[in-house]
Amino acid sequence: MTGSPIRIASATVTRRAGCCVVMLATGDGMTGIGIGDVAVGAQAKKIATAMLVDADPRGVTGLWQQMSGTKPAAGGAKTHRRAIAMLDSALWDLKARVNGEPLWKTLGGARPRANAYASAAGRSRNVEELSAWFTRMARDHGLQGGKLRAGLRRECDREQLARMRDALARSASEPSLMIDAAQRWSARQAIGWVRAIEKEFDLTWVEGVSDKRDLRGLRRLSDAINAAVCIGAGFSAVADFHPHLLQRSADVIELDIGAMGITAALQVADAAYGLELPVTLAAVNGNIHAQVAGVMPNCMSIEIVDPVPPPWLASDVGIAGGRAIAGDLPGNGLRLEPA
Amino acid sequence: MKITGFRAESYLMKMDRLVGDANLPGGVEMLPGSILYLDTDLGLTGISLGYGGAAVEGLFGAIEGADPREVVALWIRMNDFLHKAGNEGAACAALSAIDMALWDLKAKVAGEPLWRTLGAKQGRVKAYASGLDYCLSDDELFAFYRRMAELGIRDGKLKVGLDLKADLRRLGIMREALSVASPKPGLMIDSNEYWSPKQAVRAIRRMERHFKLLWVEEPARRWDYHGLQKVRRQVAAKVASGENLHTLRDVYPLIANRAVDVLNVWTGQSGVTGLRQIAHMAHMHGIEVSMMNAQANYMAQVAAALPNHGMMEVVDPGREHCLRWDSRIEDGHIVLGDAPGFGIEVDEAKLRALQASPPVGRGKFPFPRREGAGLYIVPPAPGEVPWSGD
Repeated sequence: MTGSPIRIASATVTRRAGCCVVMLATGDGMTGIGIGDVAVGAQAKKIATAMLVDADPRGVTGLWQQMSGTKPAAGGAKTHRRAIAMLDSALWDLKARVNGEPLWKTLGGARPRANAYASAAGRSRNVEELSAWFTRMARDHGLQGGKLRAGLRRECDREQLARMRDALARSASEPSLMIDAAQRWSARQAIGWVRAIEKEFDLTWVEGVSDKRDLRGLRRLSDAINAAVCIGAGFSAVADFHPHLLQRSADVIELDIGAMGITAALQVADAAYGLELPVTLAAVNGNIHAQVAGVMPNCMSIEIVDPVPPPWLASDVGIAGGRAIAGDLPGNGLRLEPA
Repeated sequence: MKITGFRAESYLMKMDRLVGDANLPGGVEMLPGSILYLDTDLGLTGISLGYGGAAVEGLFGAIEGADPREVVALWIRMNDFLHKAGNEGAACAALSAIDMALWDLKAKVAGEPLWRTLGAKQGRVKAYASGLDYCLSDDELFAFYRRMAELGIRDGKLKVGLDLKADLRRLGIMREALSVASPKPGLMIDSNEYWSPKQAVRAIRRMERHFKLLWVEEPARRWDYHGLQKVRRQVAAKVASGENLHTLRDVYPLIANRAVDVLNVWTGQSGVTGLRQIAHMAHMHGIEVSMMNAQANYMAQVAAALPNHGMMEVVDPGREHCLRWDSRIEDGHIVLGDAPGFGIEVDEAKLRALQASPPVGRGKFPFPRREGAGLYIVPPAPGEVPWSGD
């Protein structure tokens, strides 16, 4: 296989529901799929046409490096990096498909059984609906941890946390509880808020404390509360993580493959491993982060927002017994259902 | 006086009971043992016990023909011999075993117990009980610490980490069992690196609502001075670590960064000579040391002469089947006799019998790392430990 030339013949970007889908196709009909935000589609098309068409998809790390070396065009740096992230995922998919093996194997992993938790971050804040949802996550998928938005009203946080804990108690005697402050606190405010919550609840981590540049504030927060401080949601560049690793301002590093791509996530995970920092993977379409989790020795958990993908998408990752388990389909296991 | 040859023996033994921790909660009862004999032209033989005798072949050339009484110089010579590849891994285990046998010889030449050779005023070391008890039922746990308390031992260290409610219950059991020796027993916990630093903070602070803890052992990875510092800042108990480090160079970052309050020292830290270097450096920095458990508690010979030694771990799982020894536990202390050297003799007939028909039993060292360690907790499965049945 190594000897025969493999070239990307075309790159197309289409729209499905609220997402854009990039398809990198080789001359002999293999296609790698990447899914991203609608807003990055145009930029992805531009980069792919300029740099990926005619390239050998097996050289994904080199291609990532080449793409990352380019300057962002109009639309901003974040859009540019998210477009590269989507293309990077599509390249990994294609590389694994060329090998005729699932992505987790191409990456060097054994079949992943990633520790998964339920995240209600984007859901309704109606407490009955939340409780019903976490109950389903525990009952149908065995999830033993949960994350919800907090930080608006203390009473509301306490009630929601209590209901989430009770719902998850179906699958774990000590469910793992996490909160996302959704930028509502400064690091200083967070100390008082979290300490009050910790009188009643054992929190695994706190994320979304407002200013991610306040390294000293985050470190003080970490020293002042029992829970870990988690940073990294939405970070799209390796460089975003560097000050936090250097200054030890976080205890858990969240890697968002949708924002940073697989190649960069692997790099940051290893850097964090060297500092004894656990990583957690943010939710992605089709839960393909499970494919990647198995090669990160320091992966503590992966976030699940939708255990079952939307109707237009089929995934080879299933969530059962609290774990995300990938199957044997080649590539990242994603398949587009007919429109 | 010259070193003329060596003999390394290994054997497999079935201990009198299971030992376990968070990484292997079900426990093991099989212990691989090794004995190194260093022979001299005067007929005296130095003995050391450990797990590293087999790799001696490559190092023996560095000491062959030398006078065993020059043990510290020989340590330097072996350390220099290993310069390029480093005093690490199997080489470090061999260096440790040789160094201990040399000290045994040096004391035997002087006709005195090693504690006297090393300069101790008396052969007496305070003991604490450590059940390696994850695999014990609640009743067995109580029985172990009560038996230790009846020997006058006032402090105990519990294995913890996979189930906080059980840990709290069992801390209470240990305290109750020890209460006949002291109205305020010293309570310690050991999670054997199963927790991340923040998991440790969460668990220990919850324990500290109910119990005063003397020290918490290995609440972060052995080299992670940031993590150990973090725990040290956030809990009331002292932080202990070091039992998986092997040299002064390994220990240096923990001391330089004020990451520990108590350093665990043991035979594998480049022998008596290397261990003493570590203890001395710790002493200069105001850090206490604690000797790790050993067969027949023979390392009490070394602990007795360390200026900053607090108390030594006593496990007593019954693992001396081919040994005779000259020490006892009395009034909460390991009391050493006057037999020369480490005071250990090998029952050769029993050793041969063990080698001829190795016993069969559950599990075997080394302990592997349990799934989830440092990331998420995998509680004991039903039946995995005697107390996880319900």
